[in-house]
Amino acid sequence: MSRKWNAREAGREVAINTLKKLNTPPIFFLLFSTIHYQKYGGFDEFLKGVWEVLPRGTPLVGCTVVGFMNNMGCYTRGCSALAVSASNIDVAVGIGENTKRSPKAAAKKCSDTIKKKLKESRFKNRFSLNLISGPELIKIPGQGYKKFVNSGFISKFVTQAFGVSQYLFQKGLGREDEVFEEVIKNLPDFDMVMGTSIDDNRGIVNYQFCNEEVYTNSIISLGLSMDSGIHVGTSHGMKETDVKFDITSLSRNKHIIYKINNKLAVPELYKILDWPDNFLNEKTMHYRILYYPISLKRHGREVPIVMPAILKDYILTPCVIDKGEVKILTISGRDLIQAIEENLHLSSFSQPDFGLFSTCSTILQTMGNEIYIIHEKLLDYFKEKPFLMFFCAGEGSYSPKTDYTYANMSYNNAIFGS
Amino acid sequence: MQNDPIALVLDDLLKLDDILACMVARHNMISVMPSSDGFKPEVHEIWDVIKSAMDDVFGVIREYSSAGLAEMEFRLQDYEVLFYVFPDTENALVAIIPALANKGLIEVEMENARREMLAVMNEKEKERLAVV
Repeated sequence: MSRKWNAREAGREVAINTLKKLNTPPIFFLLFSTIHYQKYGGFDEFLKGVWEVLPRGTPLVGCTVVGFMNNMGCYTRGCSALAVSASNIDVAVGIGENTKRSPKAAAKKCSDTIKKKLKESRFKNRFSLNLISGPELIKIPGQGYKKFVNSGFISKFVTQAFGVSQYLFQKGLGREDEVFEEVIKNLPDFDMVMGTSIDDNRGIVNYQFCNEEVYTNSIISLGLSMDSGIHVGTSHGMKETDVKFDITSLSRNKHIIYKINNKLAVPELYKILDWPDNFLNEKTMHYRILYYPISLKRHGREVPIVMPAILKDYILTPCVIDKGEVKILTISGRDLIQAIEENLHLSSFSQPDFGLFSTCSTILQTMGNEIYIIHEKLLDYFKEKPFLMFFCAGEGSYSPKTDYTYANMSYNNAIFGS
Repeated sequence: MQNDPIALVLDDLLKLDDILACMVARHNMISVMPSSDGFKPEVHEIWDVIKSAMDDVFGVIREYSSAGLAEMEFRLQDYEVLFYVFPDTENALVAIIPALANKGLIEVEMENARREMLAVMNEKEKERLAVV
């Protein structure tokens, strides 16, 4: 880990601190960083610092995140890495670009590389960590970056510019759910975890790291093949309430809810939840909405999400959804703590070797400094063994045994061990 | 003051965009200020009324710190003031942030700063006892 402010110095320090714990050179290097280095030297300098120390040719993948948690604590500024040295793991790195413009093509290119490189591997268990560029807000002319649009004119402009913006400028939703679905189709026998790269939750810009380069709007995947055990799983702790509604009208791209119960979505939502006027506005949006997650449907699966933006009378969703019944969910700090206990309990390893967690940044936002309660649970489970939890905006897991989960406000683990 | 490790922790906090001011303080006294340039300019016009409110809050901290009071906060106009109390003392790490800030993320770094400062204080206490 490094908490240095200067990008190059931080890159150097995180590599030194990580590698000094290994007896032999690493076979891969995972790297997560908060967005601060953009202002303190830039991410090219950051990676240059890493490569002053890391042996040339080491597969490196990573991205910017809201924060991270490791054995030393939890941080919303700095960088952290996890490296493994082993003789019984084969490694592959894949990359696919233009995820917002062409999610399926990006996913196919990336996962084809992983498939090809690990095809001849003699080890039986397959895993991939997929880091996908997350959402970037559209800058609305005259308004700036908004998660709450109250003007009918501007909301119509945003709704109509939505698809164009994603295709031409690659601004807007991350489309990580579409990317991940395609990766799964191409690598169905892999266990997987997915997370999105993000900044400090403002949603302005985010970066991905692959070997010596910095990318935007890309998927970077680390593929592993090994004999030791892998467990992946998702837990979230959200509970159903009695409050339900039906999505009756969706945009063509299935990202915007126009109507619920055959009425304009937002006024009807206010009525259903008995919210006072102006309950949601640009000031209150980013914290109030966290406490009203909803459970959507996609191909028959439950998809619990946090509503990321309001466009006057319409609700934006972070992923592609289907029409049908939606349940209002509820979550508390206690539920989030129980969810990580459940998450760790799902894994049956008596001796974990290391663990990775793709976790929603809304958990970090909600828990605040009480996140250290979660840290205690992880320390208790892993003891001296390394773990790295990164906080992102859109995450999921897949296993051939349990199928695909995409969710917000969730923990998605990959625990390796015996 | 320049080499004070607690001031250096405050310097780190003050570099965060949403931390407008931070200090270690107690009732009617600011014990440690950041060693760098000082608070961000937007705090100056509201400082007097915030300082006065802070002193009243420290009255509560003084009463209840030994009973386990760990954090307090208040909102005044467009600002929030966060108090992270050092256990069993009348002192707290105090930060002023905009009311619209992403408080959850700031709280994590406030907690980290409190832990770092406590480690420094405990180390100083050990050295002092070793000398005695």
